[in-house]
Amino acid sequence: MRRWLKSPSPIFLAYAAALLLFALVTLYSPGFANPAHVATLITLASFTGIVAIGQTVVIVGGGIDLSVPWIMNSAAMLVTGLAHGQNLPLFWVVPFILVCGCTVGIINGIGIALLRVPPIVMTMSVNVITQGVLLIVTRGFPPPLSPTALTFIAAGKLGPIPMMLLLWVVLAAVLVVVERRTAFGRYLYALGSNRTVATLSGVPVVRTTITAYAISGVTAALAGMLLAGYSRQAYLGMGDPYLFTSIAAVAIGGASILGGTGSYLGTIAGALVLTILTGLLPIFRLDIGALRIIYGLVILVTVFISAPSLRELFRRRGSR
Amino acid sequence: MTTLVTLARRHVWLPPLIVLILLGAAIGIMRPSTFAIDQINIKVAAAMTLILIATGETIVVARGGIDLSVGGMLSLTTAICATRGDPGLVESIFWIGFVLVLGAVVGVVNGLIITYGKLQPFVVTLATWSILEGCALTILPAETSGVPKSWVDAEHWMPGGIGVPIMMLGVLILVWARFSRTRTYNAARAAGSNERSAYLNRVSVLGTNAWAYGLAGFFAAAAGLYFSTQTGAGHPTVGTQYVLPAIAAVVIGGTSLAGGRGTLVGTIVGAFILTLIGDVVFLLKLQSYWQWVMSGLILMLVVILTALTEQRNASGNG
Amino acid sequence: MPLLEALGISKRYGGVLALNNMHFAADGGEVHAILGENGAGKSTFIQILAGAVTADAGELKLRGSTYKARGPREARRTGISPVFQELSLIADLTVAENIFFGDEQLSPLGTISQRDLSDKATALFATLGLTPIRPDAAVRTLSIGDRQIIEIVKGLATDPDILILDEATSALLPREVDWLLNKARERAAAGKLVLYISHRMDEVRRVADRVTVLRNGETVGIEAAAALSDDDIVSMMLGRRLDRLFPERRPTLTERVALKASNLKVGHQLRGVSFELHEGEVLGVAGLQGHGQRELFMALFGAQRAEGQIEVRGKPVTIRGPAHALSPEIGMALLPEDRRNQGILLGKPVRENIVLSALSRIVKRGVVDTGAERRLVDEAVAQLRIKTDSIEQAAGTLSGGNQQKVVLAKLLATEARILLFFDPTRGVDVGTKAEIFTLMRDLAARGFAILFFSTDLAELANVADRTLVMSYGRISAILEGAAMTEGAILSATLTQGVAA
Repeated sequence: MRRWLKSPSPIFLAYAAALLLFALVTLYSPGFANPAHVATLITLASFTGIVAIGQTVVIVGGGIDLSVPWIMNSAAMLVTGLAHGQNLPLFWVVPFILVCGCTVGIINGIGIALLRVPPIVMTMSVNVITQGVLLIVTRGFPPPLSPTALTFIAAGKLGPIPMMLLLWVVLAAVLVVVERRTAFGRYLYALGSNRTVATLSGVPVVRTTITAYAISGVTAALAGMLLAGYSRQAYLGMGDPYLFTSIAAVAIGGASILGGTGSYLGTIAGALVLTILTGLLPIFRLDIGALRIIYGLVILVTVFISAPSLRELFRRRGSR
Repeated sequence: MTTLVTLARRHVWLPPLIVLILLGAAIGIMRPSTFAIDQINIKVAAAMTLILIATGETIVVARGGIDLSVGGMLSLTTAICATRGDPGLVESIFWIGFVLVLGAVVGVVNGLIITYGKLQPFVVTLATWSILEGCALTILPAETSGVPKSWVDAEHWMPGGIGVPIMMLGVLILVWARFSRTRTYNAARAAGSNERSAYLNRVSVLGTNAWAYGLAGFFAAAAGLYFSTQTGAGHPTVGTQYVLPAIAAVVIGGTSLAGGRGTLVGTIVGAFILTLIGDVVFLLKLQSYWQWVMSGLILMLVVILTALTEQRNASGNG
Repeated sequence: MPLLEALGISKRYGGVLALNNMHFAADGGEVHAILGENGAGKSTFIQILAGAVTADAGELKLRGSTYKARGPREARRTGISPVFQELSLIADLTVAENIFFGDEQLSPLGTISQRDLSDKATALFATLGLTPIRPDAAVRTLSIGDRQIIEIVKGLATDPDILILDEATSALLPREVDWLLNKARERAAAGKLVLYISHRMDEVRRVADRVTVLRNGETVGIEAAAALSDDDIVSMMLGRRLDRLFPERRPTLTERVALKASNLKVGHQLRGVSFELHEGEVLGVAGLQGHGQRELFMALFGAQRAEGQIEVRGKPVTIRGPAHALSPEIGMALLPEDRRNQGILLGKPVRENIVLSALSRIVKRGVVDTGAERRLVDEAVAQLRIKTDSIEQAAGTLSGGNQQKVVLAKLLATEARILLFFDPTRGVDVGTKAEIFTLMRDLAARGFAILFFSTDLAELANVADRTLVMSYGRISAILEGAAMTEGAILSATLTQGVAA
């Protein structure tokens, strides 16, 4: 126990930070802990959380996915545009859009794994191309309102519990099992830790990489659709902030951007921290500028704390 | 054929230059007025922000890193410029100097954090990007035209029909011709190529990081200064639109993200390609959205070709 | 007073004592060879001289006064110029830039003139009597041999008092070797000191005035080269060994061929190698660094593209990659050369490392059966006697020997019957070495087929059933039975190196 306290895991730190932050704000403004407000916060956090599923998988595998924003935008625009405000078409529209997201992810993965394009460049160009294709297809017309069923899932509640919380918990549970208990999960960590060791140990490097980006494409598409449901309409650029928040959530959750470490459990804490920080704005009458500064500082502080070099330093001091 | 490939390998900026010339020729045929001096003035002016910001990025990439915070620095600089009121000459010189020094200092801080924390440049500069953009939004919550008129006028000065952007481009190329042959830049490239070998060759990891990120910050501030005098407006979130294009310009110009190499000529060519794609799309009477698709495809094509030749190189030398 | 003197230098890397109270002395005007087996401490000593690492204890004296380099910069300023075995050139810079790196003449504007550098480089090549290499070519485009020449030229460029040549001839052509040996003699005649580290006895004979032999980080002797026979030197290098290091060898060889390679080729490194590996056999591979053994192992494992035919248990196969090699169809596993960068995931638990290659055995309905995983890991830890606090301990925190056991456990977990061991005892303590040899002989007795490369020839002589000696990408000798002594293998690698 004492040893564990001396070098606590980054995931634990992220949850501690989320809780502490929440408690402090509640002390200052008791309304913050009001169940309705907490439900709203969790719903907001869940969108970041779902995009960050894919981002976590990709980063753990040693890559990064910058194509998230326009996959989200496209999914949001398509789901409203194709369903025409009706619920029934969702039965084919939703699977169709998930397949599209998956396809974009697979393209990312092929470029990175087979053609050896650096992930930053590959996903960046796919992002731009997706943007262009979407705009050409939709000609920039504003789509109709979101189908009510989508809005119910994204903004509705089951008693006091937001629907999004249920969805998020299910997805998180699946992902944690995938991370820890499947061959794919093991391969992913091996690949992110050391590509050479992974290759020589028989890890199917190409297949694992492509799968990781495909998952990211699917979760980004899912989050985009839900976001359209939550906002009751789709608009261009609604996914843009999620590039930053998804990466930030992973970093705050204790994963190394070099890959091989971290867990989605940490990312959840990261998403919560980021959302609680957003909740500070009205209470302290902060503007968006202050929020961005706080975001940046929080990321710097967390990566500094979970940086191996520093922890090593502390450990060495402790042993002397 | 082989000699062509060798030539392209030695001068990585040649293939993009050929693309640019073809692009320019296409535009020239469709719109003959393109090569008039005022048209060139306009094109250079349009590309200059990207060129400046991508110059800094080139140095960081050659050092083996990446700098996302240049976007925040660009935003912050435009915000500072747009809130200076109506300064006199001395005041103007002070603020312009201040902005440039600020950029350099912020960059050096990036370099220090990365070196001492042994942290990944991507995350560190992502965080400082956010902080800088936050500062920009605090100083200037929304887009406003408030850049001192004297500054805007100075930037639009056109002696003999040649605009300030063209002169800046000339100065930039001249300065680079010197800078690329200094020990500082060689050391940065050495460290970007292989930090261990560089250390054995007496290169300082800290020093090269401080220089590279410092210059990236400086050029980002210069880009901001240019952007605000060009448009006359401060735009606290404009940087977001320039970060990825800056990296794209560097990559299209033939600089590998693996570090160790970096050519400004290539980067400038890359920036012009990205700027001219819009013209081509317009002249082809395509929807303007095609410019996204085309720039993405060009970027992808370039990196795939580079990756393939690199693989062949590697397998050839065992 | 000697020009360079080392008094009681010690250096520890983790659990390994690379230098143990080592002493040394050399004068100006001589070529002084430093000899020893791999791991004897030669490279560590060179690195300390060059300021790349610092000694834990002891003192270096230069012309009688204490010298302590706090980095490569200072070493170079004091007139020590190293030519490293691990090439320290910067691949993205040009030949001329590399040669003069950090010592360039600057123009008043502070710039370096590439033309000026190129001219100087060309002039330098001419004074040194070399065929010039294009000075404005990027180093990444050059062959290994040319890179080594440039590394040497760079070392000579500053006209240092002490020139260190660390395995500087490994990639050179015979006439280039002649050139280098002449240069070394010339420098000695001019009163400078040349430290010459090489595995090639004939070169040492031709160039060295005196010889220092290191063994296990200690100095065995400093003698005049002419006073020692080759046998003297070999026995000084090898010393007396613990006899019980090696297990008793019972013939376990069967007639069944597990692996047959015919005319395997990889670029210029591997030029047509054919052999048969039988079930129950430990087939040794010997060779000086860079003579194709690495390519041979990588090609067999599918990690490097190669020409030629491979048969596994009598069936011709094309191995598409490591994953395919490890599959039950082929059943071949590799213990790679560089444990820390190729063998284990340092940051991951022992458990995850051991099962990484054998996940298909413990995945039930898509999910890892943790019970089966635990049993597999516990069994391996017990069988190989891996010393670890728990199976959740990060593999990187174990000692070198235990890390190697984790790699072995990973190999065995795959149930592969053909094992490729590339230098399995590198950086491993004596106790673990003995355990590894016992394990190898046990596996052979159970019908496994083992291909075994080692840089320590005694291991081959005492553990292998036969030994292939590789030279310039070919098999130059096959030794077995009473003829396969350590000395015989050593001379086979050395003499073949000269003849070719």
